[in-house]
Amino acid sequence: MNKLDVVGKREPMLDAWEKATGRARFTDDLAFPGMLYGKILRSPLAHAKILHLDLTGAEKVTGVKGAIGGEDIPKKKYGIVPMAKDEYALAIGKVRYVGDEVAAVVATSLDAAEEALSKIQVDYEELPAVFDPVEAMQPGAPVIHEEVHNNVSASIRKEFGNVEKAFGESDFLFEDTFETQAVNHCPLEPQAALAVVDPSGKVTLYASTQIPFFLRRNLATTLDIPESKVRVIKPKVGGGFGQKIDLYAKDFCAAFFAMKTKKPVKFVYEREEVFTSTRQRHPMHIQLKTGMRKDGTILAQQFKVIADGGAYNSTAPLMITLACYFIMLPYRLENLLFEGYHVYTNKPVGGAMRGHGIPQVRFAVEAQLDHVAEKMGIDPLDLRLKNAFQAGAPHPAKLRVQTCGFSDTLKTAAKGIGWEEKRGKLPFGRGVGLAGASFPSGVSNMSHISSGAMVKIERDGSITLLTGAADIGQGAETVISQIVAEELGVPLEDIRITAADTEITPLDPGTFGSGVTLRAGNAAKIASQEAREKLFEAVAEKMEVNVKELEARNRRIYVKGSPERGMSFKEAIKFYQYSDRPMPIIGRGSYQPPAKEPTTLLKEDGNFSPAYSFMTQAAEVEVDTKTGKVKVLKMVASHDCGKAINPMLVEGQLEGSVVGGMGQALYEEVITEKGRVLNPSFLDYGIPTAMEAPSITSVEVETNDPEGPFGAKESGEGTQLAPAPAIINAIYDAIGVRFKTLPVTPEKILQALDEKKKE
Amino acid sequence: MRGKEVVVKRIITLNVNGEEFEFLTEVHRTLLEVLREDLGLTGTKRGCDLGTCGACTVLIEGKPYLSCLTLAADVQGKKIVTIEGLAQDGEPHPLQKAFVQKGAIQCGFCTPGMILMAKAFLDENPNPSEEEVKQAISGNICRCTGYTKIVEAILSLTHK
Amino acid sequence: MRLPKFEYLEPKTLQEAVRALASDAKRSVLLAGGTDLLVNMKHRVIEPKQVINLKTIPKLAYVKNVKDELRIGALATLHDLSSSRVIQERFPILSHVATKVGAYALQAMGTLGGNLCQGNRCRFYNQSAFWRGAKPPCYKAGGKLCHVVRKPGECHSTYCGDMAPVLIALEAQVRVVGPNGERVLSLSKLYSRDGKRPLSLRKGEILKEVLIPPPSGKTLYLKWRRRESIEFPIVSLALHIEKDGTEKIGKARIIFSAVGSGPVETIGAEEMLESSSLDNRTIERVSNQAAKEISPMRTSIYSPSYKRRMAGILLRQALENFQIPNPK
Ligand SMILES: Cc1cc2nc3c(=O)[nH]c(=O)nc-3n(C[C@H](O)[C@H](O)[C@H](O)COP(=O)(O)OP(=O)(O)OC[C@H]3O[C@@H](n4cnc5c(N)ncnc54)[C@H](O)[C@@H]3O)c2cc1C
Ligand code: SF4
Ligand code: FES
Ligand code: FES
Repeated sequence: MNKLDVVGKREPMLDAWEKATGRARFTDDLAFPGMLYGKILRSPLAHAKILHLDLTGAEKVTGVKGAIGGEDIPKKKYGIVPMAKDEYALAIGKVRYVGDEVAAVVATSLDAAEEALSKIQVDYEELPAVFDPVEAMQPGAPVIHEEVHNNVSASIRKEFGNVEKAFGESDFLFEDTFETQAVNHCPLEPQAALAVVDPSGKVTLYASTQIPFFLRRNLATTLDIPESKVRVIKPKVGGGFGQKIDLYAKDFCAAFFAMKTKKPVKFVYEREEVFTSTRQRHPMHIQLKTGMRKDGTILAQQFKVIADGGAYNSTAPLMITLACYFIMLPYRLENLLFEGYHVYTNKPVGGAMRGHGIPQVRFAVEAQLDHVAEKMGIDPLDLRLKNAFQAGAPHPAKLRVQTCGFSDTLKTAAKGIGWEEKRGKLPFGRGVGLAGASFPSGVSNMSHISSGAMVKIERDGSITLLTGAADIGQGAETVISQIVAEELGVPLEDIRITAADTEITPLDPGTFGSGVTLRAGNAAKIASQEAREKLFEAVAEKMEVNVKELEARNRRIYVKGSPERGMSFKEAIKFYQYSDRPMPIIGRGSYQPPAKEPTTLLKEDGNFSPAYSFMTQAAEVEVDTKTGKVKVLKMVASHDCGKAINPMLVEGQLEGSVVGGMGQALYEEVITEKGRVLNPSFLDYGIPTAMEAPSITSVEVETNDPEGPFGAKESGEGTQLAPAPAIINAIYDAIGVRFKTLPVTPEKILQALDEKKKE
Repeated sequence: MRGKEVVVKRIITLNVNGEEFEFLTEVHRTLLEVLREDLGLTGTKRGCDLGTCGACTVLIEGKPYLSCLTLAADVQGKKIVTIEGLAQDGEPHPLQKAFVQKGAIQCGFCTPGMILMAKAFLDENPNPSEEEVKQAISGNICRCTGYTKIVEAILSLTHK
Repeated sequence: MRLPKFEYLEPKTLQEAVRALASDAKRSVLLAGGTDLLVNMKHRVIEPKQVINLKTIPKLAYVKNVKDELRIGALATLHDLSSSRVIQERFPILSHVATKVGAYALQAMGTLGGNLCQGNRCRFYNQSAFWRGAKPPCYKAGGKLCHVVRKPGECHSTYCGDMAPVLIALEAQVRVVGPNGERVLSLSKLYSRDGKRPLSLRKGEILKEVLIPPPSGKTLYLKWRRRESIEFPIVSLALHIEKDGTEKIGKARIIFSAVGSGPVETIGAEEMLESSSLDNRTIERVSNQAAKEISPMRTSIYSPSYKRRMAGILLRQALENFQIPNPK
């Protein structure tokens, strides 16, 4: 590959200055004259019929401009996965969890809105509730959604190969049960929406969202208005991690009230609402049986997974499907039987979170593999290397893996943590562990999974880039701009970007599935090339050379190999203009991942993603055996991201993801008691602080994927798949106890050490 | 006793970033609300409103304060610095530069509070250890960065 | 979350504040750093008619030596404590403990008086109005039952402050000012151990200063929490030991936080320790005794048995630390 000038450079984010100086505008930072403030009344009960809703008290509060219940807003269900829509903007008839939306008010001040909430009278008839997914599946359990009698709202049963036969051929069989906890995404910016209606009746919604175009679509259908009457703009977003892939009452209520009152309306959630009433990582109950051949080959695996979905579906079918298919990476696995259930309970709702269904099963597999290795007398690293998936190998579910640096990530992570010297050799209380994983770089073939971009070359030589990609803090805008700058041969500072405005920017599915760099990056790359070609034609004509001989670099366009034979970018534009070519110079690009047979995996196998990233996490921990406290001393995150367009941002992704994964391993848990969240605050939830953060080494393994722009693959989510099992495996190395339930709190460590002493 | 004079609304004068602001407001409003809603200084963020995240940190007489737990009426006559006022004569503060250049900013929601916290701390302890830096910013939650680059950025200004 | 509306007073003297407080004690609160009070007000568990700001009273934020005694004004912040030269030299343990409260900004705002007088905590009480709305109000919130223990009449909310245990171990006293003048009482007596009204302050009384006698012996504070910042203790321990000139222990004070309705002194364990030598067997017996003596309730997300267990472990660690000739 050619030497690159902008791609591959450690560039600060384009909007870092705005953010460092307080000028960056997030949704709640916006205000419009006459703006009303909204608040949502939530159910205090886990499961109840709404007998009567009386809003008159609220309406009487001075300053209140409107109060509605579920009956007052179009009764259309919404949902992020079309086949699984099961939620109303505000509850109709009954509430299904503590925090479910019952009514909404708007007022001229937040004080008045808060007061109004306390004046709303709701008569409930409490219904029996169910909090445990296994119980919820039993006959006779309370029914949470009338249409779903056994509360199983999504399920999958898939077999690849022949598991029974493979178990028969296995030399060793292992069976374990694992449990994972509810984890909240905790984006630092709470969910917010601000709707403004213009005189023509069009609603513009500013929202903290990862998916502006999906949101537009859902707003239109749910509020029963044409899509052309809805515009969604994503201002700066303060983190999402999947939580903002969803649609919330605040979006619908803001738009609805704005339409009704003709005034700007803003809804911002409290931190408590983020904990109780948005989304969380699904707790899972996982039974796992693995068959091994004597030589260390993983022959077959059988799963029974019960995911606690909470009261609504959100991404249910997709989540449980991903959990299934990604068992078959990063290891070769010919025989898999996967039975998975997404079960309704009267609890907070599960949704996509960094890794989307995979971290939980990955934890089970990786923790068990360590045990398998020990029992079979094989080094856990060697066992993983032996079974590591390789590029180009056939995949049982027809995933097409063109590049795979998994083995390299294993080796580099092991080296980074000092595996050879340390595994099994550190004093009691200290240990190292590792775990591997794989993740897609975006989803190929669900409805409208393609990205568009437009690149305009302005008269002064600057570049305007329009992309639908939704930067939520990961730096997508920067990375895409780097790609454009590289293609056009200009420095990054020449690029101006407008992004994620459904009216102005081209379609983009949004930030999920770690597809942004690949998908939107490719679109922008194509658009840049098209614009560049137009310029090249003019230059070629002037210089009397073939277009193919030209190259753009350092703000110059010249004949390849002889920079002196050419002209500056600006001169080229001038010449273009004076040669009576049509202005402006615009390039357009659309990118849809290639696929012959469209598949969402929901119904059939097939390639799911244009590229797959691979990663290994290694951890070193210290366990205080007197108090049970675990300190993660060091983590090595080795990641095959294809090609790091911006290594500094990739590192940032890895570091943040690692600490989040550590949170799941050791600290975080949304604790509920009879469906009520006991710790809906940063005080009691356990999100890691700087004091908990380990020292982190990032290793980028580059495999230059043919499908990715400049070879790039994902680096956003995959890293959060393996820190928890790596840490749990390190704890085993330290104290000889295998934990199968997360999080591993000091209390559990003490108990386990007690039991160990007794043995 | 001035009991009878007590009113719920008051004229409040605040000195923010060297500028005097005078406005009528209710006494139950927090500094965070007033900064964001009345003065348009939205750089100060609201992450929890209950003292648990540090996003709303401002400097009052150089000390880090959580503006969500501070009454606006209570800080009259004090020097208040928000992130908007950190640059001097158009020149960004070294911490702002370090945060930008070291990649310590992702979504940026924690950034204003984090930078101000770091400033208060470094002003008091210009040559801290890594552990001291971590402790100083440990009340400021960041979900994006894993803190690594934030700590690096702060430490980059210490070894002089 | 907005604060409820209230009237706001800015007294210029303690007397003025006392008078204002006494005039309507039930419906008035004192504001110091506000880090405890304002959270409770946002949660609507405290909805005062008037808020009396103590910070407008000059000269209440001092740290000074008066003869041998150390005096700390109630309005001195925790950060003042950790950065004060005088305290660092004479009572390094106090500086240390102050850095363990919440996090930096909370220390810069929070005052010693506020820390000592902070509200008791309970998982059913320190919650938003929405959260509490599902259940009838409990005793502490003005209702007629307790969600933790069904026993009638009693609130078991828990004192979780960090400063009190150490100060009690140092035999600190507090000076309070009220409508009938000043009185001095031992800090330990400030706590009523009644969860509903945890302070023994009388109507109109304000804590003015903390008095600490000259240091003797050695004091340790161990705070146990999930993360090393922000959190209140799950359980914490102040241990103070004075040798009797021989190898034996002369005087011992063992005080826990977060295990009862006030700071909890385990007298039985103290007696067991006094005039014993610090051998491993004693350490084992004393820590078991202390764990037995406390009776934590399920007022947080942590179980009473876990708190009890950690209390024993902390004490064992602290005592082992004293076995080493020069403890930290
Ligand atoms: C996120 C978070 C974490 C925290 N972590 C801890 C922790 O780890 N350890 C800990 O101990 N505390 C913790 N706190 C509580 C609080 O921050 C501290 O206790 C602080 O020291 C309280 O002081 P203040 O001046 O802010 O009190 P305020 O909130 O002003 O007052 C607290 C109470 O004391 C009363 N009061 C104040 N001064 C006086 C006086 N002079 N005389 C009589 N009554 C008075 C007030 O009326 C009020 O009821 C935490 C708080 C938060 C929000
Ligand atoms: S212990 Fe009982 S009475 Fe006291 S605050 Fe908790 S629930 Fe209320
Ligand atoms: S908003 Fe003030 S600390 Fe979180
Ligand atoms: S950068 Fe997003 S929370 Fe810190």
